[in-house]
Amino acid sequence: MDMDAFNDDFKVTSKGKHKSYEIDYESLTQGAVEKLMQADIEHISGIFGVDENTASLLLRYMNWNKERLIEKYMDNAASVTSSAGISPLEPPTSQSQAPIRSSIEAFVCPICFDDSQTKTLCLSCDHTFCASCWIAYATSKIRDDQEMAIRCMAEGCSLVAPDLFVRSILEEDTTTWDRFRELVIRHFVASNPNLKYCPYPSCTHTVSCPSASSKSSLATVVPTVACGASATHKFCFGCPIDGDHRPVICGVAKMWLKKCRDDSETANWIKSNTKECSKCQSTIEKNGGCNHMTCKKCKHEFCWVCMGPWIEHGTAWYSCNRYDEKDGVDARDAQSKSRASLERYLHYYNRWANHEQSAKLSIELYSKTEKKMEEMQITSDLTWIEVQFMKKAVDEVEKCRMTLKWTYAMAYYLDKGNEKELFEDNQRDLERAVEDLSELLESPIEAENIPTLRQKVTDKTVYVQKRNEIVLEDTANGFLEGRWQWNCSVDGFD
Amino acid sequence: MDARRRRVMKEIADCKNDKSSNIRIDMIDDSPFHLNGSFPGPEDTPYQGGHFEVDIVIPPTYPFQPVKMKFITKVYHPNVSSASGAICLDILKDAWSPVLTLKSTLISLQSLLCSPEPNDPQDAEVAKHFTTSKGSFDDTARYWTQIYAVDPSARGKSSEKLQSAGDEVAMAGLEKAHVDQFEALGFERGKVIDALRRLNYRGANVANITEDRIVEELLK
Ligand SMILES: [Zn+2]
Ligand SMILES: [Zn+2]
Ligand SMILES: [Zn+2]
Ligand SMILES: [Zn+2]
Ligand SMILES: [Zn+2]
Ligand SMILES: [Zn+2]
Repeated sequence: MDMDAFNDDFKVTSKGKHKSYEIDYESLTQGAVEKLMQADIEHISGIFGVDENTASLLLRYMNWNKERLIEKYMDNAASVTSSAGISPLEPPTSQSQAPIRSSIEAFVCPICFDDSQTKTLCLSCDHTFCASCWIAYATSKIRDDQEMAIRCMAEGCSLVAPDLFVRSILEEDTTTWDRFRELVIRHFVASNPNLKYCPYPSCTHTVSCPSASSKSSLATVVPTVACGASATHKFCFGCPIDGDHRPVICGVAKMWLKKCRDDSETANWIKSNTKECSKCQSTIEKNGGCNHMTCKKCKHEFCWVCMGPWIEHGTAWYSCNRYDEKDGVDARDAQSKSRASLERYLHYYNRWANHEQSAKLSIELYSKTEKKMEEMQITSDLTWIEVQFMKKAVDEVEKCRMTLKWTYAMAYYLDKGNEKELFEDNQRDLERAVEDLSELLESPIEAENIPTLRQKVTDKTVYVQKRNEIVLEDTANGFLEGRWQWNCSVDGFD
Repeated sequence: MDARRRRVMKEIADCKNDKSSNIRIDMIDDSPFHLNGSFPGPEDTPYQGGHFEVDIVIPPTYPFQPVKMKFITKVYHPNVSSASGAICLDILKDAWSPVLTLKSTLISLQSLLCSPEPNDPQDAEVAKHFTTSKGSFDDTARYWTQIYAVDPSARGKSSEKLQSAGDEVAMAGLEKAHVDQFEALGFERGKVIDALRRLNYRGANVANITEDRIVEELLK
């Protein structure tokens, strides 16, 4: 069996190239962003007839807004120039070269009080300091303050060192110079609503996603993107939430996270990884992501999330995902109302936290699975590639738990009615499929059953994928069609 | 000797040699990077006659990053935290320049005492007091100077006694009659002082605050 055939096992028929829950974007390297920046600099340099160092400082001062810069410059060039920290006295070209003065008479640096320094530097303001002070100063500004406007060291002097000057003093410290360039690029990216810097530590890629650049667009799409450095560098273009929060839009996701933070005290207990068996009260610890628990002592089978008997979960009346609003309606006095609202919240929070926790435990499941895969290669004649179906299944379970997690945030805010019921039907189907597969993955392997297990896991993985696809597609379409109604006011909706 | 040490040592020596200024910088122990600065309160201000001590910490990146300073002596001033001594002053932050020195910074603190910036306050309650009733503010600042900043060498038992016995009402810049009035309603004296201070029940502002509002605050 070759890799293609293996991949075919998991192919889900997609209607078009572009799924409604996906967004068009492009990943750019630091070099590519630098080119965009350079184009702006050359453009301004050409229009104003100034050198590129000056054009760059002007653009930085105006947060890379070319139109506003041109407007202001036409209005009062001198004022913009001096506010940007560029010397008005001399033609800008002369300050680009860092003047190096060899001192004739003894020079005492006003900063380090050292009179033995021979190399001194100044900007066009003539405020002269020794070279080692300049180096220490620029390094500290860049490294400690993440500063990309290096001002003259003299008190009250607002001249900014042009890039050539900075480069000349950092000649021997390319790391700091590179950091400086990165800061300038980050500033350029941060100033451009179409661009976003990859939030992963020490990654230098940028994503361009113009269709999610406006606030209003975020009411209809969830712009999950990944930078070109790695597929694991997944982030939301629209908000600072970690990773992928599909299918729920940024505004609702943010509201939910805030609620969880505010109510964390009350909800903390739920996160705990141990519970008591509802039948014999012995302590049960959860390991692995599966929610089908079996008490080691009394063999009682129950659902980790709702603590109800597991037997009910495999049947048509499964409703672990649905909160029964009836209790809330009956609540008459304020106290039982607030109790009902807390219970309602806990219903969703419980499931949200559980999927998050289970996804985390997937790492454990992962290493267990790897062991199983090795076992399989020994006990059966399957090749390494042929046992990949296990890994693929674990990946899928983890991915779908993320989707499920966020569906609970969405369901909490969805207004009662048909649409919510349909949403919860899809959610339930996905959840059931995921729990099924998850359970299958944790079942013991017997050599003679491997071919059947392989078939079962592969089939279920395809099914889970399909259910996930349905939840994502249908929710995304609902946003585009304006189908979702909320039970509170949500940014971007009336 | 590294450049930072050389520079700080020279700053300390220069300050010592400068007989004309009344700024002092002293080492606390052997390290030149943790110092004690002091200066007299400026004349014709509520701080006149006081002696103000400042805790000085020289960061590893000094003088390229600003020196860290805070008042050790308690000061009643809009830009100084009445609780922690933290100072809100631009040159200690963005406006710092490596050519500034410990001495020049202490002089800036001295002149901050002459000209408060209530629009950029460190202590919001004190700033409110300053902007709404300057006369009463001056009285309180003067009182704090008397209690905390006068004659540091003699600050022994007698002044400690003064502190603990120091009139809480005057310390808070309030009027005794006002505090008595609400204490008579059965509220704890300390609570009354806190509430009146929070509400800035001083000078002309008294007319803007109803008794109900104060009782409400007291019942919080
Ligand atoms: Zn120097
Ligand atoms: Zn200068
Ligand atoms: Zn990245
Ligand atoms: Zn988002
Ligand atoms: Zn049990
Ligand atoms: Zn359940």
